[in-house]
Amino acid sequence: MKQDIPMPALSDTMSNGRLVRWVKHEGEAVKHGEAIAEVETDKAIMDVEAFHDGYLSGPLVPVDTEIAVGKTIGYLADTQAEALAAVGPKAADPAQPRVAEPAPASGPSSSATLEPPPTAARRASPEPVRAASLGTRASPYARSLAQRLGVDLTKAGTATAPVHASDVMAAAQVPEPGELKGGPAYRIERNSSFREATAQAMIASLGTPTFRVTATLPLAVLISRAKQVQHSVNLLIARACALSILEHPRFNAIYTPDGIAWRDRVDIAIAVESAEGLITPVLRDVAKRPLPELSREWAALLDKARTRRITPAEYSGATFYVSDLGMFPGVHSFESIIPQGAAALLSIGAVEGERALCTLNCDHRVVFGGDAARFLETLERQILALAAGA
Amino acid sequence: MTQELLYWQALNRALDLEMAADESVFTLGEDVGLYGGSYRVTEGLYAKFGEMRVRDTPISENSFTGLGVGAALVGMRPVVEIMTINFALLAADSIINGAAKIPFMSGGQFPMPLVIRVPGGVARQLAAQHAQRLESIFMNVPGLRVAVPSTPQDAFWQLRQAIRSDEPIVLLEHEVLYFTKGPVDTLAEPPPMHRAIVRRPGIHLTIIGYSRTALQAQEAAAELAKEGIEAEVIDLRSLSPIDWDTCAASVNKTHRALIVEEDCRHAGAGAEIAATLAETCFFSLDAPVQRVAGMDIPTPYNGALEAASIPRVSDIVAAARALIGPKEKAAA
Repeated sequence: MKQDIPMPALSDTMSNGRLVRWVKHEGEAVKHGEAIAEVETDKAIMDVEAFHDGYLSGPLVPVDTEIAVGKTIGYLADTQAEALAAVGPKAADPAQPRVAEPAPASGPSSSATLEPPPTAARRASPEPVRAASLGTRASPYARSLAQRLGVDLTKAGTATAPVHASDVMAAAQVPEPGELKGGPAYRIERNSSFREATAQAMIASLGTPTFRVTATLPLAVLISRAKQVQHSVNLLIARACALSILEHPRFNAIYTPDGIAWRDRVDIAIAVESAEGLITPVLRDVAKRPLPELSREWAALLDKARTRRITPAEYSGATFYVSDLGMFPGVHSFESIIPQGAAALLSIGAVEGERALCTLNCDHRVVFGGDAARFLETLERQILALAAGA
Repeated sequence: MTQELLYWQALNRALDLEMAADESVFTLGEDVGLYGGSYRVTEGLYAKFGEMRVRDTPISENSFTGLGVGAALVGMRPVVEIMTINFALLAADSIINGAAKIPFMSGGQFPMPLVIRVPGGVARQLAAQHAQRLESIFMNVPGLRVAVPSTPQDAFWQLRQAIRSDEPIVLLEHEVLYFTKGPVDTLAEPPPMHRAIVRRPGIHLTIIGYSRTALQAQEAAAELAKEGIEAEVIDLRSLSPIDWDTCAASVNKTHRALIVEEDCRHAGAGAEIAATLAETCFFSLDAPVQRVAGMDIPTPYNGALEAASIPRVSDIVAAARALIGPKEKAAA
């Protein structure tokens, strides 16, 4: 018997997944728990695992299609013969809205105008669509097209008539005024879901009222120490931050409309560059767990981040962030955007002499300038203590 | 082997072939014997098969339909002709409480290989009591199948399929169609009994019709094509069950649906189709599903009023234009 393989929900927020690669081919034996396919979720590439032993059977959805969670992507058959037998029911249509809809074989006239332009998704902008849905009359198809193409419904069509698909198509072919207008020719390339997730997270952080305090910290000694004990410098910096946070717990808190949320464990994310963009693996309980254990875990996380095998559970939920550009000797100092869920972020510049300029970006709803200054003082003490082998 | 046949001739041929092939097939109804049927469908069969297999009945619809139900229960394959669908109201108990229920209530012990052939639709000036459609009544009965052939070929195929089916089937013929002509291939493999057919491919909207309105929809599509509007026309061929896959595939392609029914708009077949398409195709609809339907009035006797009370080709064309809207028309 052939059983459906549904697109699994690999994270809380995942509604669609893009099929990156079939690990197994049709007719190949698979064991329970073995990876069958790779799927790109909102931030990572994850494995789809077999739910029991069997043979992978088609039709399989093509690579690079976006599939809604729960839709069938392929089949598991009991026997190889069955797996390779005549084509079964059609595997899932691409997710609604479809991304790569083949043009219907139809007349030459206006069918072209009803197909999404090849440069389909410009910036995905769910916000305007949502806002528009409150007041704009639009057909369901126009709405789904607008969402797919990132078109603001309020800017499509006329004020009086309902918005139809043709209006959305027309709007999609006109660049957003001001952004691209008058500039050189351009092409629009679809963001990977990874980059898009980062973009959305950054936009979500715009509402945070921030200030920054910069201090010079004695990092040279810590770097020597790191080499000596064969730990990553960033791990030691994170440790120093965590120990400082124990003394200044406000830096582990966040603002919520109901009040300040105090957290009882220090989980620190360290920004890492990967081929696709920025990722922030999180080390848990950095203040209290033994350093060698943290070091092993950090190495594993780094590896997963670089190969994009990291899971949402491993890159979300940090209470404090560290970003280090110290490997670029010319970077005097810099600052960063505080992601949602943290009150502060430490940005580390290159060492000049014995010290490096470190900037603490803070959420002013949680901490004030004096708090930041005192935190940085404590951090200096913790760095020196760690460098001394504490 | 293809030949040009009238709709009634195609039905006659189908019945003839099935009666010759299977002795358990017989037909009964008012004037089906000596007279040859009100619309000539049983012409020549009385002489060929005799009075036991082509039985004239009194004017007693519930009784002779009940006789058909009973005969089906004991293994016969009766084809009951009711003179018009208006008289089927008198046989409603046999059809609805008998034929449609017995297979279920006997736990499947009794199949119901019963065919009820019945002309319906608005003919010409037969007045309100003889110009009803009533298909929605039978669509609303679980267990009953309703087929609505629009062409001689479908009439030929669907009557034969109905006779061979073990389910009770109302074959709803249209009075105006009996004398329409079309090619009939008596040897070709028929599509499944309840499969809808795309009569004309198109891209701008889907027009869904059945029985006579499927033909009108095709005429309307030809008119629309002159303006650059390419309508896809679906002939449902069956009202119970309805082939939703064919309908949804088309609407997902064209993003617009127009339903044409001769029956009254209120709670008619079109209401069921519109509701289901809204459920299944909501996110690909670029305009509300529209219906062109008969007026919610008893059919007028006056010829001009009668014609105006049911969909005309010009009504379908106008509704299609409105559904497409001025912008799309310009684009087309």
